[in-house]
Amino acid sequence: MSDAAQTKTLQRGSSKNQQAGGKAPLRVAVPSVLSVSDLYKSYHKGRLDVPVLKGIDIQIHEAEFTTIIGQSGSGKSTLLHLLGTLDAPDKGEIWFQERRIDNLPPRQKERIRNRDFGMIFQFYHLLPELTTLENVLIPRMVQDNFFAYMRNKKKYTERAKELLDIVGLSHRINHRPSEMSGGEMQRTAIARALISKPSILLADEPTGNLDEESGGEVMNTLMSLQQTENLTIVMVTHDNAIADKADRVIRLVDGKVTHC
Amino acid sequence: MYKLLLSWRYLKTRFIALASIVSVTLGVATLIVVNSVMSGFVGEMKDRLHGILSDVEIASPGLGEINWPDLHVKEIERIVGDDLLAVTYVVRVPALMNFEFRGRQWTQQIMLMGVDEKTFGKVTDFNPYLLNSKKRDAINFELEETGYDARLGECGWEYRRKKIANQQKIEDLIGPSTADSLVAQASGQSDVTSSEDSSLTNDPNQRAIAFEPLPVVAPVHQATVTDPYPQMNPAIPTSQLSAFDPHADLRDHVRPEEMFNPGRDQHTGIVLGIAISSRQFMNPKGDREELFMVRPGDDIQITLPTSGPTPSPITENCTIVDFYSSNMHEYDSTFAFMSLEKLQEIRRMVDPVTGSSTVSSIQVKLKEGADLNAVRDKLIAFFPPNQYPYVIQTWQDTQRPLLSAVNMEVTILNILLFLIIAVAGFGILATFFMIVVEKTKDIGILKALGAPSHGVMSIFLSYGVSLGTVGTGVGIVLGLLFVYFINDIASVIQWVTGREIFDPTIYYFSQIPTVVSPLMVFLVAIGAIAIAVLASVLPALRAARLHPVEALRYE
Ligand SMILES: Nc1ncnc2c1ncn2[C@@H]1O[C@H](COP(=O)(O)OP(=O)(O)OP(=O)(O)O)[C@@H](O)[C@H]1O
Ligand SMILES: [Mg+2]
Repeated sequence: MSDAAQTKTLQRGSSKNQQAGGKAPLRVAVPSVLSVSDLYKSYHKGRLDVPVLKGIDIQIHEAEFTTIIGQSGSGKSTLLHLLGTLDAPDKGEIWFQERRIDNLPPRQKERIRNRDFGMIFQFYHLLPELTTLENVLIPRMVQDNFFAYMRNKKKYTERAKELLDIVGLSHRINHRPSEMSGGEMQRTAIARALISKPSILLADEPTGNLDEESGGEVMNTLMSLQQTENLTIVMVTHDNAIADKADRVIRLVDGKVTHC
Repeated sequence: MYKLLLSWRYLKTRFIALASIVSVTLGVATLIVVNSVMSGFVGEMKDRLHGILSDVEIASPGLGEINWPDLHVKEIERIVGDDLLAVTYVVRVPALMNFEFRGRQWTQQIMLMGVDEKTFGKVTDFNPYLLNSKKRDAINFELEETGYDARLGECGWEYRRKKIANQQKIEDLIGPSTADSLVAQASGQSDVTSSEDSSLTNDPNQRAIAFEPLPVVAPVHQATVTDPYPQMNPAIPTSQLSAFDPHADLRDHVRPEEMFNPGRDQHTGIVLGIAISSRQFMNPKGDREELFMVRPGDDIQITLPTSGPTPSPITENCTIVDFYSSNMHEYDSTFAFMSLEKLQEIRRMVDPVTGSSTVSSIQVKLKEGADLNAVRDKLIAFFPPNQYPYVIQTWQDTQRPLLSAVNMEVTILNILLFLIIAVAGFGILATFFMIVVEKTKDIGILKALGAPSHGVMSIFLSYGVSLGTVGTGVGIVLGLLFVYFINDIASVIQWVTGREIFDPTIYYFSQIPTVVSPLMVFLVAIGAIAIAVLASVLPALRAARLHPVEALRYE
């Protein structure tokens, strides 16, 4: 990790870090949008226990661009899935906007995933049967029932087209994912993640599968969005160049945060 | 919203899934066809079975008799009440029928029914089956001049007169006659002889012609019809005839017009089932032909047991006055009908003291829609079996073995065909599992985007419902089309294979009867869709249970 990034993190987080004071539980006073305390997660393979996360404490601050870096297999994706309520931790708590979310009933977790989190994955994960526009609209379709969606369809479509314009894909709204390049697909995924106006964007190696140029385009898109829309971004990466651009860097080594 | 969109898109992009429901389509189509044909068949059969059977019958078992039938009817009227439409008496007796055909005597067993001319037609559907149109309005047992169905060929009085005259010619030829009469009738005789000769040849075509002796000799007879009994002509000396004339002694005392004259008089009239003495066969050209061994106008002998404590056989000369064709082979080949009074008289069923007669059964016709079984049960209650040894049955009871066999057939066919659809269900199950596996990633994505498990499940359920509905819909259309054009299809198949699928000589149907019951179509559709849905429930549940992280890791 570069010194510059470190300083930046320290500058921004210094006062908060002092208040949080090591492993003490987070207080309401701390203006962090998402925080994690003492998080454990292990996978079971037969009788064998594979511990992946061994006591993680993180705070994600509003309108910050945070990266999580670490070696392959260090548990970055696992952590991100836990943050996104896609999986449940063995131990520990996850707080989102002053509300504990790791033990919520499925229905509320789904609601949070749908409205408050935007997710981007390494392999884009678009639905191959749908066009770009429909892929972007999917979270809205999930949100509303048929009639509500039909009522709001115009509004949603406008917003989707706006987003596709921002990510530079307004000319491809009726294409299928199979007809697009990796970078284009990933930018579609970004537009999809933003359609519900989430308060936080969780990205798992969004550029991991792209060449340098498309990766750069995706990064530029994300960075400018962060500036213009004041987005909170948590991004998993093992690319130091990307980490350099982040406001804060969280380093995972052997299931623990070694560097904040 | 996304559920509809996605299941629609899956449907549109995966036509192969449609293949999995082809079996549903076929199953539904066959079920509809089979059920329609079967119910058409059963309906037709029931009509025919009911044909000459009354709604309810009170019969004495075997050859037993019911005494004082009038008193029974009074009670029946009281018991049945308003539902009663008509009542009639029937005497039923097994008999032997004897007739001559091509110079030989043939014997056939029949069930002889003595029926009341006035009321039998009201109680049963007998009249429409008669082949003489004049008898359809009111039954009688008189030979008619005209009105016989064309398929019978030459029959009636005209035929009888010709035949008698023809017989007379032959009798004259082989009987004692002078050289003069031989010479005088040479032309006519030579014709008769030649037709007799040709009947002995082995050529089947020749023989078929010989079965109809009349056309060959007809021209000769025209002249003789006016005088069918030359031996009764005073011009011929009685002495020439006396040795061979059994009625010679009578002739001296009875005037000719009082004597039984077969060219003018008939014996006891009898109506035969058309299949008793006729055969349908294929001629060498492949056409269907009907051979009548006897026809209206011919005389036959009926031998039947008399009534009373010591039954003895009695033979009665009868004249066939008509045929009936109910298209139920079982009836058409067994039953013969005769006037009730005449049969009672022949069998001595009339008490000479009281003048009251006995009957074999009392047949009852009920109003449309009356509950036959209820009436039967009331009658049984009034005539308890331990006091009255009567057999009280509805027509359905009488035909129970046949009807229940057919019902059983229908049930088994339905079960088998539904099994086909169930097998199709497993095809759907397998296909859907594969689609779910293929769509694992999509399911993960949807869940990551906040779609609830039941939402994901309903994508696959509605996928199954739409496939099931499409398959069933196509099946219904196919099935109905098949039913609608079934006779054309049958004739096409017949033309292709050269084989008769639906042999009218067996079934007596010229067309395959079909009845499409909307309820049946509805139930089949519901059943098929239910199977398609059930088959998609398991894969859909699996999709719902998929863990999003596991699903997303899948790449
Ligand atoms: N379902 C699972 N069962 C067993 N072990 C698992 C499972 N999922 C992940 N792991 C293990 O957990 C560890 C962390 O996995 P994770 O995917 O979080 O790593 P990562 O940091 O994202 O690596 P990468 O940079 O390659 O994506 C790995 O050692 C992996 O083998
Ligand atoms: Mg990973």
